[in-house]
Amino acid sequence: MPGVNGWTDVRMFYEKTGMAKYISHLDMIRCFSRAMKRAGVPIWYTEGFNPHAFMSFAMPLSLGTESFCETVDFRLTQDVDLSFLAEKINGVLPPDIRVKRISKPVYKPDEISFAEYEIRFYDVSENFYSVAMDLLKSDEIMAEKKVKQGRKKTVKEVNIKEHIKRFSLRNEVFSDVLSESNGYSVTSQKTDAVLNVFLSSGTKANINPSLLINALLKRCDDFEIDFDIVKKQSYIENGEIFR
Amino acid sequence: MVTKEVEKLLKKVQKPARYTGGELNSVVKNKDEIKLRYAFCFPDSYEIGMSHLGMKILYSLVNGREDAWCERVFAPWEDMESEMRKNGVKLFALESGDSIDRFDLIGFTLQYELCYTNVLNMLDLGGVPVLKKDRASLTPIVIAGGPCVCNPEPMVDFIDIFLPGEGEEVTNELIDLLIEHKEKGSSRLEFLRDAAKIEGVYVPEFYDVEYKTDGTVKSVINRETAPSKVKKRIISNLNTAHYPKSFVVPFIDVVQDRTVGEVFRGCIRGCRFCQAGFIYRPIREKTPETVNEQCRCISDKTGYDEISLCSLSTSDYTNIEKLIPMLFEWAIKENINVSLPSLRVDNFSDELLEELKKVRRSGLTFAPEAGTQRLRDAINKNVTENDVLKTVQKAFEGGWTAVKLYFMMGLPTEKLDDIAGIAELAQKVVDAYYQIPERPKGKGVTVSISVASFVPKPFTPFQWEPQDTGEMLEEKQKHLLESVKSRKISVSYHQSDTSVLEGVFARGDRRLGQVIYKAWQKGCKFDSWDEYFNFDNWLEAFSECCLEPSFYANRRREFDEILPWDHMDYGIRKEFLIAENQKAHQSETTPHCRVKCSACGANKLNGGKCDARS
Repeated sequence: MPGVNGWTDVRMFYEKTGMAKYISHLDMIRCFSRAMKRAGVPIWYTEGFNPHAFMSFAMPLSLGTESFCETVDFRLTQDVDLSFLAEKINGVLPPDIRVKRISKPVYKPDEISFAEYEIRFYDVSENFYSVAMDLLKSDEIMAEKKVKQGRKKTVKEVNIKEHIKRFSLRNEVFSDVLSESNGYSVTSQKTDAVLNVFLSSGTKANINPSLLINALLKRCDDFEIDFDIVKKQSYIENGEIFR
Repeated sequence: MVTKEVEKLLKKVQKPARYTGGELNSVVKNKDEIKLRYAFCFPDSYEIGMSHLGMKILYSLVNGREDAWCERVFAPWEDMESEMRKNGVKLFALESGDSIDRFDLIGFTLQYELCYTNVLNMLDLGGVPVLKKDRASLTPIVIAGGPCVCNPEPMVDFIDIFLPGEGEEVTNELIDLLIEHKEKGSSRLEFLRDAAKIEGVYVPEFYDVEYKTDGTVKSVINRETAPSKVKKRIISNLNTAHYPKSFVVPFIDVVQDRTVGEVFRGCIRGCRFCQAGFIYRPIREKTPETVNEQCRCISDKTGYDEISLCSLSTSDYTNIEKLIPMLFEWAIKENINVSLPSLRVDNFSDELLEELKKVRRSGLTFAPEAGTQRLRDAINKNVTENDVLKTVQKAFEGGWTAVKLYFMMGLPTEKLDDIAGIAELAQKVVDAYYQIPERPKGKGVTVSISVASFVPKPFTPFQWEPQDTGEMLEEKQKHLLESVKSRKISVSYHQSDTSVLEGVFARGDRRLGQVIYKAWQKGCKFDSWDEYFNFDNWLEAFSECCLEPSFYANRRREFDEILPWDHMDYGIRKEFLIAENQKAHQSETTPHCRVKCSACGANKLNGGKCDARS
């Protein structure tokens, strides 16, 4: 079971939800290296002048996005029970970051090809659904992408249509009770639109869901719509879940 | 915990993790099971406030009680503040998300004068009346501690109670008293009357200040239960005093993000410009065993990979040579780096240097403070040019190639020659590098000079001295730049306007409260941040209140003048400060406390004990 020098390469699968979505990618790296220390994980340290716990994240996650499918790879210098290790790390992490399991990596991180997101738009207007459907079904979905040209940062218009593998859109209707008296209640109805979408993801092509969202909000001409993004799963080319 | 309203704002602001709470080791309690809620407010950004050791100590101290819950509050950055005001969201504490007007105690730490407007802004944003006279109910009570409290007068309009000195004991006494009065249903005045009886509690409304026609203080009369002089509190034994078992671990990068081991309080040196060197006396040391144990415990609970030893002058710690190997024994195994700030050039030993080389190497920093021997003697910085050169030579031989030198300008008795001396000393450091035969090939040396503007502070021998005006400082800055001849030397200095304002509030009186209030109304906040500092607004506020900044900053005070902070007792005798001032003008030095006790008087706070004389 142990590899060269008795080391084992492992992949940790974790969720980053709730308030943890506001922890940036760089801060996550620090957060994990401290958690590894607190949990006493026999993690391999780089041997340079400035030794640090070696960890490799498959994909950086945008600030503000929740995720149920994050992974980080690291190397163990001792043979330990992996489910026990996951439990131990959970014991020293903030509650909004949860380790689901630690196992041997099956695929390489650069095999990731697309990812599934669920985007919830809160309290949308009546015509949101049809406007969104129109856009999603059209042949061309132009989005503004920030690109670096040499040192200069500019905004480029790109067609992201081919990067949308699959989508579904549904409305969810809620009743809000505004007031109650004498058995009568005044309610108002609110509609959330929930978009489930598979977007290109990985080293070859990567589409941040915010590109699609901005294109949508632009089409609706309403940038005040509140929304949340949840990353649900990463997949490799043939449609298998990344593991 | 973040409320629904706040969550909406988080998506629109920079660094939302400043406002979410939920960090590891933060303390959440059940509101129904506690009797008192304490909002510990740091009047600056999250990144600055989370670096502050005092807050960590008091946070864990109060949360160690079953009947109280201490939460953290920081000044929101401008983007967040404007969203909050636009959406009617009040300033909230990070642990519960509740607005601070629902708390019993609101405590501010006043670490530097330029944070004063932030205190007003935070109270206002929290829905608490900014002026203490407008607060009617028993709670919230607004309290303040920290070094600036040694002259609290400019802030008396806004703060109900000041706690001069160290807070570990008096905070608990005050909490006990407030719980008792809450249960009795007392009035605010009844509580304040009882609070003023506690040693080390200053209730400013029980003191009446009269002024002479020339603007100086005529008299300060105590009323009610208040003592004529308020004696600062100290902790007698640091080995048994409360120290946190863990720190809250921030998600975002903050200024000081590591394990901190406090090794002693006070300072033996007596540098005449240094307020900290006087107001934290007497010297009290921890044993190396205590420090080692505390560092180990915090490192285990936080996962920090760095330990920093903290005090005013860590190489003066008598057990430093014993402590370092103790820490290294476990820290190196666990890939933990030990860093030692505040090292002095004159007792930087070969052994210490060898130990330092074992861990990660950062730049070396020395603080000669003044450019000529005459001026270093006047300020009692007992460091010679030879000390500096010998030490940097040792450091260069040890492989260091970057040296930072700290200086001040605007010191009492300073002439332009002293300024030129700064450049000359830096040049000698550069030359010392090129005299090392085995210096690294192809690598140059960099010497950075950082020059701060001197601000005279209360409870120092220079408390009577005029501060240089902005024009004088700018002339000296120009002279320094002209005196530097080498490209290996870089110079940085501070904006002189902020130093002037700092000087005004450091030695100000009660009348400045209205200036602070007006300046805040004009939009002044985050004054210690260059991008926010607006001196014109401040000058307008002064002129609307018919007060002159120069009266406070640039005036020489007579030794017999009643100073606005004379009713604060920090242990230091005035006669000692006067004698030190006179010696300064003769460029006469005073040996440090371990060579000879100068009878400063601070040991009376500790029953005559002082660890400098063990």
